[in-house]
Amino acid sequence: MRKRHSVRAYLFLSPFLVFFIMVIVYPVISGVILSFFGQRGAKMWFVGIKNYASVLADQKFWGSFGMPVFLLLVQIPLMIILGIFIAFLFERVKGSSVYRLIFYLPYALPGVIAGILWSYMFSKSMSPFVPLFEALGFGKVELITNGSLPFILLVIILWEWTGYTALLLYSTLVSLPPEYAEAAQIDGATRFQIAIHIKIPLLKDTIILLLIFNSIGAIQVFNEPKMLGGLITLPPNFTPAMYIYNEAFSYGAFTYAIAMGLVLAAVIFIISFFFMKSSVKELAVNA
Amino acid sequence: MRKFLRAVPPNLWAILFSMFFLLPIYWLIQSTTKDNGQLIQGTFVPGNPNHFADNMSDVFSFNNGIMGQWLLNSTVYSAVGSLLSTLFCAMAGFAFRRYHFIGRKLLFMIILGFSLVPAFTTTLPMFMEFKNLNILNSIWAVIIPSCVNVFGVYLMVVYWNQVPEEMFDAAVIDGAGEASIFFRIGLPGIRPGLITLVIISFVAIWNNYFLPLVMLSDSSRFPLILGITTINSLQGFPIYNLRIMGAFLTALPLLVIFSVLQRFLAPQLTGAIK
Repeated sequence: MRKRHSVRAYLFLSPFLVFFIMVIVYPVISGVILSFFGQRGAKMWFVGIKNYASVLADQKFWGSFGMPVFLLLVQIPLMIILGIFIAFLFERVKGSSVYRLIFYLPYALPGVIAGILWSYMFSKSMSPFVPLFEALGFGKVELITNGSLPFILLVIILWEWTGYTALLLYSTLVSLPPEYAEAAQIDGATRFQIAIHIKIPLLKDTIILLLIFNSIGAIQVFNEPKMLGGLITLPPNFTPAMYIYNEAFSYGAFTYAIAMGLVLAAVIFIISFFFMKSSVKELAVNA
Repeated sequence: MRKFLRAVPPNLWAILFSMFFLLPIYWLIQSTTKDNGQLIQGTFVPGNPNHFADNMSDVFSFNNGIMGQWLLNSTVYSAVGSLLSTLFCAMAGFAFRRYHFIGRKLLFMIILGFSLVPAFTTTLPMFMEFKNLNILNSIWAVIIPSCVNVFGVYLMVVYWNQVPEEMFDAAVIDGAGEASIFFRIGLPGIRPGLITLVIISFVAIWNNYFLPLVMLSDSSRFPLILGITTINSLQGFPIYNLRIMGAFLTALPLLVIFSVLQRFLAPQLTGAIK
């Protein structure tokens, strides 16, 4: 039986709560208050909801969602498909533990390092790919251009997260009861049929989780494009997070940036809620 | 499509994917052996003559040896932050496991809700808060936020729930106080969880770029990951061979940690959600 001791409980909770309030709760509350103020330099004055009205009408702000939407529609589905393929590969390949480590390694490196490595590998000055293209008769190609940026970001993020995704799907795959697949095999189903009709549907919960976490991640992309920005001039609103950062620290529109940050949080809440609700509905239908 | 997929044996697929995943890591390692003249040749083979030792000594003598300071800063931020945040999470998890208290469910919901708030929302108001507290551009501006790991509270609750109630009861009968139950009986029981959380937090703080980017302006307080992006010549141009060596030194501990401690770092999502 659990003991009823509120004082003791809060004594144990207090160190966490003090820091939690200091770096999350208080900033959110003071952020909401600050978002109702206009600001120039150190001067601030109350403006009501004007910042929010400006955010909602700011085409640059909504334009910054172009990149996350591209990632959501192209990179995330591609990564999940590759992840499923690799997870099945782990089941069949010899020496799978070695491959699991190798595929997981990119996840060990932070986005900043991934951004540095890939942007240098695609750069005009150092790229090892440019000589290859030259040898193939394409001449001295420029790999990082404004047109190729979404593709380059896609490669970087796929490189960082596909192994992790595959491992997560694989760990679900291993935990599935083997009876379904065995029964299907006895009925004469091929390995491909078993994968498509039995195993992938059982991965659904993991796939939904991956969708939630990756959509939230796609909205917050910052480090990789920040590193790419060292080689090519990016628009200040390349991603929502970059726009918020630039508004605050390049243009000094601090309270406006805070209002955008709160709108961003609201978008993330809506996405999480939407996915969770739809997955709950699915579970209810299945039950 | 199916025919094509089947025509390639699984091991060949695995090797092809391995090449893609290892390529940038290999490129990084072989690039540490090159000076800038060799780098712009854009090859996949190590530099000849080999400049690894030169690059290493140059990166540590850059700007009066600030690299050593960055390395020390990163180590201090990560060590202090990971140990304190893990202790605080373990204590919070213990409270949720062992006691019924006023506001228990509500508090858990609040923690859950605030965990969804992105760093880009909290960091700017936190910047104002720290400015008012006069700790902007000090080590506390990095260490204080590093002591909070909301995900860690869930992880700890999951691990605490695996400790059987009887263990606590037995300790109470033996006359142990709550503090000694926590430290002597509780913590050893959740050791794998503690190790996992310390490693995850250490890596997360080591890798955190955005927080110090916002909070710090004095480069002598930068962590490694921020410092290496500021390695420029006096004219303001990046010194590529030194940045690459810096990236290598940032990545090396992470690659070692992940290779050696892999069993503590397996993706935990499903386990934590169930």
